[in-house]
Amino acid sequence: MANTNKMIFAMVVGILYVVFGILKMLEGFGIETGLAESLLIPGDFFGGFCFVVIGAVFLYAVKELSAGVHMGVSYVYVGILMSLVFMAVYLLVMGADLLMFYAVKSEDYEGWRIIDSMRPGIYLGLLSLIGYFYWKDRFTTEMTKV
Amino acid sequence: MEKKKITIALAGNPNVGKTTLFNAITGARQHVGNWPGVTVEKKTGKRTYKDTEIEVVDLPGTYSLTAYSIDEVVARDYVVEEKPDVVVQIVDATNLERNLYLTTQLMELGSRVVIALNMWDLAESRGDEIDTRKMEDFLEIPVVKTVANRAEGIDALLEEVVREADKGEHHEHEVSYGDDIEKKIIELEKIVGKDSALSGKYPVRWLSVKLLDGDENILEKIEGSSVATQVNSVLSTIKKEDYEAAMAEKRYETINTVLPQVCVKCIKGVTFSDMIDRAVTNKYLGIPIFLAMMWAAFEVTFTVATPLMEFVDMFFGWLAGVVAGSITNPVLGSLLGDGIVAGVGAVMIFLPNILLLFLMISLLEDSGYMARAAFVMDKLMYKIGLNGRSFIPLLMGFGCNVPAIMATRTIEDEKDRLVTILVNPFISCGARLPVYLMLAGAFFGRQAGSVIFGIYILGIIVAILSAKLIRGTVLKGKPSPFIMELPPYRLPTLKASAIHMWEKGSIYLKKAGTIILAGVVFVWLLSAIPAPGVDAAFASEEILGTEDSLIGVLGHIIEPLVAPLGFDWKVAVALVFGFIAKEIVIGSMGVLYGTGEDEDALAEILTAGAMNPLTALGLMVFTLLYVPCIACVGVVKKETGSWKWTLFMVAYGTTLAWIAAFLIYRIGTAIGWGL
Ligand SMILES: Nc1nc2c(ncn2[C@@H]2O[C@H](COP(=O)(O)OP(=O)(O)O)[C@@H](O)[C@H]2O)c(=O)[nH]1
Repeated sequence: MANTNKMIFAMVVGILYVVFGILKMLEGFGIETGLAESLLIPGDFFGGFCFVVIGAVFLYAVKELSAGVHMGVSYVYVGILMSLVFMAVYLLVMGADLLMFYAVKSEDYEGWRIIDSMRPGIYLGLLSLIGYFYWKDRFTTEMTKV
Repeated sequence: MEKKKITIALAGNPNVGKTTLFNAITGARQHVGNWPGVTVEKKTGKRTYKDTEIEVVDLPGTYSLTAYSIDEVVARDYVVEEKPDVVVQIVDATNLERNLYLTTQLMELGSRVVIALNMWDLAESRGDEIDTRKMEDFLEIPVVKTVANRAEGIDALLEEVVREADKGEHHEHEVSYGDDIEKKIIELEKIVGKDSALSGKYPVRWLSVKLLDGDENILEKIEGSSVATQVNSVLSTIKKEDYEAAMAEKRYETINTVLPQVCVKCIKGVTFSDMIDRAVTNKYLGIPIFLAMMWAAFEVTFTVATPLMEFVDMFFGWLAGVVAGSITNPVLGSLLGDGIVAGVGAVMIFLPNILLLFLMISLLEDSGYMARAAFVMDKLMYKIGLNGRSFIPLLMGFGCNVPAIMATRTIEDEKDRLVTILVNPFISCGARLPVYLMLAGAFFGRQAGSVIFGIYILGIIVAILSAKLIRGTVLKGKPSPFIMELPPYRLPTLKASAIHMWEKGSIYLKKAGTIILAGVVFVWLLSAIPAPGVDAAFASEEILGTEDSLIGVLGHIIEPLVAPLGFDWKVAVALVFGFIAKEIVIGSMGVLYGTGEDEDALAEILTAGAMNPLTALGLMVFTLLYVPCIACVGVVKKETGSWKWTLFMVAYGTTLAWIAAFLIYRIGTAIGWGL
């Protein structure tokens, strides 16, 4: 089946986003998951909610594709677009941190390292970036036949 | 038991199986005659379904309801003038695109429509897979599958017809004709609405659309009315042929956006736009996706702005230094340093936030996503008693409530419009942001972003509940139809969005240079005049912004009002001056606490004991809900044309603000939270 690749991709990425989203939400509530440090997960309730939404979009793709609905690929693409938007957001935040450190030289940023601004949104986004380039022609040209 | 009587009309393109369905419904109980004045055959029949007696009228088959042929005029006049309880449109399931054109026109007529999706057997055997649920969602019309020649689905159809006729109110979706044409439509609606003979008989929007469409039949009706000259003067400004073509195109554009969502196989090719729509208009995911996109926009607005704000801060710090170093006259120095630079600086520091927020809104608008967001929100808006069209003005409120309230002019229904105006100030505008940023930054550290997001959500919830409350009490009635605008997606260009950002953002700059400047100078003046009985020089160091100045006297007078909320007199004064512009709350706190434009110093004083997390949260909520700024109150007065409603809004908001802040402070203190 032509969509098997997309289905596996959506399944893996979807689960990752949902899990990371839940971890973020838990940390946001102040519940220690013990994973925050090693996975660079910040406590952030609403940010976590957004991750769960992205994950849900991917998992919806799995639901439709596995039911044989070809249009289910829509959800893969929208999931990829959303995770790229969030990757861009976190990269911008990182850029802001860089400015704070180098240009503003803020006291709060003493001893700041680039890794302190590394977020799951960025490294999970890499997966979507791969997906984006892999299916790039779909994003740039109109689909003529499903 | 007395039987209920309803009349239904069957409409549809030629050859969709209308006659067959008519026979299947009425059986032998038929009557054939002529439509009055014309030689077109008129068939009527009767059918009793459960306890309802249904009179069925067969309309001539038509492709549209434009007055091109006698058939179309007959069909249309019947629907418009006789107002059957329900119009059943028979749609050929194997030819959706062509059939839906008539649907868009029936929707415009405001009739209650039920679609009989006929020839379902043929569509099914072709493997078309039509999603009737989606069809219902997009059109806001019940859809029943039928196979007329085997009399299948007739009972289900009648069931739906009876239910629709019984429904207290119904919600409609209509085609949007795009900004330029919509402007003309509204202009005409205002004129036509003045003639009560016309507006009592016909839907006003429909009349206006038809006039722009160049419909001879409607033009004749207008000729004899009291508004003929005014209508003609509007119509003389446009080229009719262009409008007619453009409007037909818009109807097809809407159909072509809806169709791929309803039936993938009915169309030749799926575009990427269609695929995005499938996900973002999903029943379950649509609203969460919208929330996530909004959060992303806010995250950029708040965090990315931080270094830029530092730069603005450095600039004003430098300016304050220059002022202090070069001006020797103490009064002038104080006016410039403690008044203008401090006050305006405290406000200007948020320029990066404001610009980024506007940039994000522009990006979302320019990409075409915002129109989908309005569509997704329509159902929810309808439930809370608002029109889908109210959504855009509410969203604009996040920037500034003043243009947002002016944008409600696109809502033609007066009650819809009034509710949208009255709840708009609860949508937290950019001017209130500095207050949150300052307080949340000082008291909530890394959680600041989420706290601020929560404040915004609170504003939305209060707006929703208030709308429901107002709709259920003082402004009873149903919201008017939702105009569906579904433009194709575009990759927004940074340039275009930046231009839009600047258009909106420069208003903020102008405000900083005028009304805010005047406001802070006034605050400074009051804080520089010694209180009666205090022996000190004007603008001398020891009285500036203290209880020994005039402002201190004023503050102590009003302090009892806000003391139950845990606010001191300085906060009270800041809130009073916040009426000039909400940014001044922070600007005047800078002046009053003697920290000037230095945000960090102010934060330090506040956290050192002047406030606590509870009062900070209370102040944020109070700032969110209490009387909006003077410009906003002015525009509400102007747009509602009523002091009564304006005062209602002011009193309602301020009361809510007081109660909310009181509860936060009292309950929080009682459970010992955040102390
Ligand atoms: N397969 C199929 N044929 C239908 C259906 N409904 C009507 N027809 C046939 O379509 C043809 C046109 O129907 P008619 O009622 O005369 O269409 P009208 O012009 O809309 O009144 C007739 O031959 C009907 O038997 C249906 O649901 N399925």
